[in-house]
Amino acid sequence: MTIQSGINKITRRNFLALAGGTVGMAALASMGVPASFIENNLEIDLDKIDHQENEADVLVIGGGMAGLFAAVKAHDAGAKVMLVSKGSLGSSGQTPFAKGIFAYDKDLTNVSLDEFVDQVSRSAIGTNNPVYTKQMAEHSLARVTDLREWGFFDSPLYNNSFNKPIKERNIPVMERITITHLIKENDRIAGAAGFSVDEEKVHFFNAKSVILCTGAGGFKPNGFPICDLTHDGTVMAYNIGAKVTGKEWNDGHPGQSINAASCFDGWHGMFERKPGLTSVEIHHDLGVDMNYMAYMNGNPLQMGPPGMNNQKGSTGGPYRPEEFSRKEPPGGDNKPPGREQPKEGGAPPGMGGTVVGGSSAGMSIHKSEGLVPINDKCESTIPGLYAAGDALGSYMAGAIYTQIGSSLAGSAVQGAVAAEAAAKYSKYIEFQNISKNVMNKIEEEILAPLKRDAGYSPAWVTQTLQGIMIPNFVLYIKKESMLKAALAYIEELRDHHMPMLKAADMHELRLAHETRNMILSAEMKLKASIMRTESRCSHYRLDYPDMDNENWQAWINIYKGSDETMQFEKQPFDSWPNGKRIIV
Amino acid sequence: MSIQSINGCIGCETCIKMCPTDVIRLDPKTKKAVIKYPADCQICHLCRMYCPVDAITISPEKSIPVIVSWG
Amino acid sequence: MKKYNLTFISIVFLVLPIFLLLMGDFKERTLLKDSISILTIIAFCLMSGQLFLNRNYRKIRHDMKMSSVVKIHKFIGYSFLVVLLVHPFLIVVPRFFESGVEPIDAFMTIITTFNSLGVILGIIAWCLLLVLGITSMFRNKLKFSYKTWRVFHGILAFAFIVFAVWHVIDLGRHINFLMSVYLIAIAFFGIVLLLNTYLFNSSTRV
Repeated sequence: MTIQSGINKITRRNFLALAGGTVGMAALASMGVPASFIENNLEIDLDKIDHQENEADVLVIGGGMAGLFAAVKAHDAGAKVMLVSKGSLGSSGQTPFAKGIFAYDKDLTNVSLDEFVDQVSRSAIGTNNPVYTKQMAEHSLARVTDLREWGFFDSPLYNNSFNKPIKERNIPVMERITITHLIKENDRIAGAAGFSVDEEKVHFFNAKSVILCTGAGGFKPNGFPICDLTHDGTVMAYNIGAKVTGKEWNDGHPGQSINAASCFDGWHGMFERKPGLTSVEIHHDLGVDMNYMAYMNGNPLQMGPPGMNNQKGSTGGPYRPEEFSRKEPPGGDNKPPGREQPKEGGAPPGMGGTVVGGSSAGMSIHKSEGLVPINDKCESTIPGLYAAGDALGSYMAGAIYTQIGSSLAGSAVQGAVAAEAAAKYSKYIEFQNISKNVMNKIEEEILAPLKRDAGYSPAWVTQTLQGIMIPNFVLYIKKESMLKAALAYIEELRDHHMPMLKAADMHELRLAHETRNMILSAEMKLKASIMRTESRCSHYRLDYPDMDNENWQAWINIYKGSDETMQFEKQPFDSWPNGKRIIV
Repeated sequence: MSIQSINGCIGCETCIKMCPTDVIRLDPKTKKAVIKYPADCQICHLCRMYCPVDAITISPEKSIPVIVSWG
Repeated sequence: MKKYNLTFISIVFLVLPIFLLLMGDFKERTLLKDSISILTIIAFCLMSGQLFLNRNYRKIRHDMKMSSVVKIHKFIGYSFLVVLLVHPFLIVVPRFFESGVEPIDAFMTIITTFNSLGVILGIIAWCLLLVLGITSMFRNKLKFSYKTWRVFHGILAFAFIVFAVWHVIDLGRHINFLMSVYLIAIAFFGIVLLLNTYLFNSSTRV
């Protein structure tokens, strides 16, 4: 076996001895910890890997709430649609675990639509895009009505109800296909590419437009069911030049200290609930206050609602607008655990008992990170490329959790909005030819981890990345020196390990691509956090603890520069990327 | 260790499809579901809830060390 | 001699399987689920025991009158036949009381999983059992001679036990090595006795 470019030849036996002896390796292996640099024992026949081409006017990537509506509504708008998903419809990403969906019903509330938007905007301290906040509320009831008709509220499992409208319309669905590449030709979208984990097959999709419904992501953290979400959409869009945003914000959910990795237990049966409706209830939740208290006072953390700031020595810390200070335990957006459980739906109560941090590490506030929209139609900076739900950095709720249940509602609403826009766009445009050269190059990149004789296992690189990124003094309670130190590690993973990720089968190939995406996300998160020299909402800097309204009434956009390096720019809170004012 | 055992599997492949993290695969010989990649189990119980014969047992412990932010 | 001697039957077809069940490393589930499992297992073991609870019984034991044996045969036959016939439905019953897949969806998935040998075997065994039950019930209407009836019933029983044991070993939740050995042994000896009766013994009506 050869280690990179033939620096030296090394037998497996010798290598094991070098790595601390076979006993140590066996011990590690028995714990399930993959050894780091090992021979790639390929379990599949590379020559048998097939290749298939597919075509659709509108290609929907992702099978969660946003993907469902994107596919259904694009079909209804007359487009030939195909839905491709890394998992199965309604059973991957965060959708299966989101049990509360918000519906704004003007007959059931005395809060007017404009008041609702104003209140969210006040809680979000300017970080929200009020156009998307209003759009979510305005369309939420209609989407809930669709869902009710499909039987969504009748079962805690969503696969059946999601399949109903898809089957009725005969929309082709391709499941368990990991999309790794978006393809751009002549400065507009031309399709996408990925591979099947079941069939040993590379798939190319020729499409007039693509709607990314790929959800958000994290660092495969323990305690949150997001281990299949690795910011795939953000990274593949970034790679073809799209602008992405929101990488400095943080979802601050804690987990339970006992069996922290068991999200089912940590969420206290919430996964078994049927979904239900939430009504107007606006908070300023799940920023970094609890993480700040744990950082200042240590654990065990007295379980009070974050933001009550009633702990000794925790004066100061993250700012919460007076209007939204609360005396009751917090509820997440769609999220975790606690005591009294309603029979169905609703938001999960706060975590009970002793808690630990970082259960959602690597994830930002819903809908604050993702592709930068250039208008209210979920359109990205690349013509023909749309995004909806958590894949779109719409800032629908701002950089903090505001309206409970709005995440799921927002994904449904944005899926439908993007669908109509993409279907319309596809009417007046022709398919583009994807050249053989491009296809060969992409196939080469997709399969590269399988072709390495030796390399780093994705599981080991992921664990290393978790060790760097998850501790609370990195992304939760930030300061420049630590962010830079972590960045040095991440750049090492990016430059040295990412090019040497190996895979023995299609499952591990998926892990290799996910690991690559997490490394790039980590770089974005650290650099954006260094850049934002203030504290606001879910971004807290120890060295810049105050809000800086003079310099930071702005979002941070990230894009790939012409020299392939990561570039950053500010986009004022009140404007679209082209400088036009956002008018509600 | 997260997903623990599958007893009484009828080979319908539902769990394989419903697992978000691709932990379960069909054994080509026995035509039954096997826990192939337990380290990637996120302990979300979707497989158990979808299984028509309730064949899946899950424990809350993770098979690999758990990294948290503070503890 | 007692009219009924159930000790032998209970030990071989009731106590032994429960003992094997307790010996096995099986996960404890809810009371309802475990009760359904145990009921089904007992029903199956007793149904296998039917291979002995006939004329053959008197070949190995002499403690009961043939009329008593027939009575027990009929009692076990009709009551546990019902349990085995409804067991595919019983499997999904706990889903009525817990969250997850809908019982009807689960049942449909089960009986349409044709890529599974175990399911097909189970469906065949289920049909055979149904025929066994119905023909026994309406035996008088069939107007078979006793000999024809005995061969008819015996062949059905033979086919049922082969398909059913195979089905159980392939799909059973509580199947381990010992349990498989036990079931195969019962089926094997039962069939041997059955063949022995037909091939080497020309009995007359009781």
